[in-house]
Amino acid sequence: MSERSGVQRMTDILRSERAAEELAAEHGVGDPFAAAIRATRMAMIVTDARQADHPIIFANDAFLKLTGYHRDEVIGRNCRFLQGPDTDPAAVERLSRAVAAGEDIAIDILNYRKDGSTFWNALYLSPVRGKSGEIVYFFGSQLNVSDKKRVEFELDDTRDRLEAAVAARTADLTQALQQKTALLHEVDHRVKNNLQLISSLLLLQNRRVTDPGVKNSLRGMLERVSAIATVHRRLFQSEDVERFDVSAFVRDLVSDMMGAARRDDIKVSLDLERIDIAASKAAPLALVISELFSNALRHAFPPEIMGAALDGRAGEILVRITRQDAEFRIEITDNGVGTGNSASSGGFGLTIVQLLCQQLKARSETTPADPGTRVVVHLPVNGVHH
Amino acid sequence: MNGRQLDVLIVEDEVLLATELEFLVEEVGCHPVGLAMSSDEAKALACDLRPDLALVDVHLRDGPTGVEVARTIHDDCGGVALFMTANVKRLPDDFAGACGVIGKPYSEHGVKTALEYLTVCLTQDRAPGPPPTGLELSPAYAQRWGLNDLPEAV
Repeated sequence: MSERSGVQRMTDILRSERAAEELAAEHGVGDPFAAAIRATRMAMIVTDARQADHPIIFANDAFLKLTGYHRDEVIGRNCRFLQGPDTDPAAVERLSRAVAAGEDIAIDILNYRKDGSTFWNALYLSPVRGKSGEIVYFFGSQLNVSDKKRVEFELDDTRDRLEAAVAARTADLTQALQQKTALLHEVDHRVKNNLQLISSLLLLQNRRVTDPGVKNSLRGMLERVSAIATVHRRLFQSEDVERFDVSAFVRDLVSDMMGAARRDDIKVSLDLERIDIAASKAAPLALVISELFSNALRHAFPPEIMGAALDGRAGEILVRITRQDAEFRIEITDNGVGTGNSASSGGFGLTIVQLLCQQLKARSETTPADPGTRVVVHLPVNGVHH
Repeated sequence: MNGRQLDVLIVEDEVLLATELEFLVEEVGCHPVGLAMSSDEAKALACDLRPDLALVDVHLRDGPTGVEVARTIHDDCGGVALFMTANVKRLPDDFAGACGVIGKPYSEHGVKTALEYLTVCLTQDRAPGPPPTGLELSPAYAQRWGLNDLPEAV
């Protein structure tokens, strides 16, 4: 400290003491408010707003006890001596701006005692105005909130650690999901390729053999494999891999089988309500529908007797899917030659239908449609018949 | 058919699928010009033989290189590729320049109708109507062949 500033400091202290005396003169021994402020356990100071740099002109005993300073070490000084290296500069800046603007402010700020130890100070600072409205003093009260702050910091710390743990766990789960999705795609890919391979094997053999009976069997097997293949293509096209849209499947199946059959003399009508079934039932139900439709297509309209047997009417197959209460009703009706004339009813295809209906807990009824044949499959919605 | 035979290159590493495809290509009146099982073979054959259409599987002997084959055919060989894959969802948005995709498992009938349809598209540079079931066209070719002018299929 230079001599000049030393002199300056002395002058400041003298001015502060004079200001303190003025304040004391206004609030003498008999003033109960002054007595309360001197004796309260809440630390309090008064600074002189009319002097440069707002020196402290009053500090109560609680303030001295909180900060560890003697009274003559604080009087005449700006209270920034309470700040230290870890005090948040942003908090100091907010304080300065409030003082400059003449506004009150409540702020938590890290302060330092004389011995260098720190405490969290819940500081409240407000201007005190004179009779003509000008600011004459600032009144400050200090509350040690270190315990509360420590709990806050511990909570913050705990929250940060929890958030980090949650983020790490989420990353693990995301990665696991990605692996699972990749695996699902891989398996789906292999299933489809293998179904394609099986189809190709059957087609290739069908090209080699000449026996009509064998050709017929191979074509039947190819249709069954194609029905299963259509199921797989549909299953993974939809967003929900656990549900299967039966009507969409029927549209694909019918368009493919009609195209392959090259029977322009047969008309198909579809009356399809949208129904979803569990993916696990998709393949057996698809096989049942494929078998019944194929049966109608192959046996209801023998090409050699078309016209004569149908009395000139056009061949027609109707596929209708509806939901009735707890049942799905799948109807395949033709106006063909009827079961009596059908070439191979009771063959392998119908055995498959019977077995799969058993597996699906479904019931199938074949009745004459006069003309033709009607087959209805009743499939319980929830897997059981009531 | 419109009198003109399309030259078709088959790019497929499963030999049984490739053999069966070759039969189907012949049956619809196209001319199978070759079979490639890896991306190098495919690119070499595509640039030598200049096929009108290449049927390209995404997974070849040297890995998932079919996409790159389709791009080369489009960019460097002046041909048109058609994907045949079980992984339709993994294709790039621009189809790597290919005209479309047939999802595996496909049916004999599905491939035949798709080839017949594409024969018309390629010879007339215009689609005769919406694509048949099982064939999905790329946005660029749907536009090129005038499908965006058609009313939405119901």
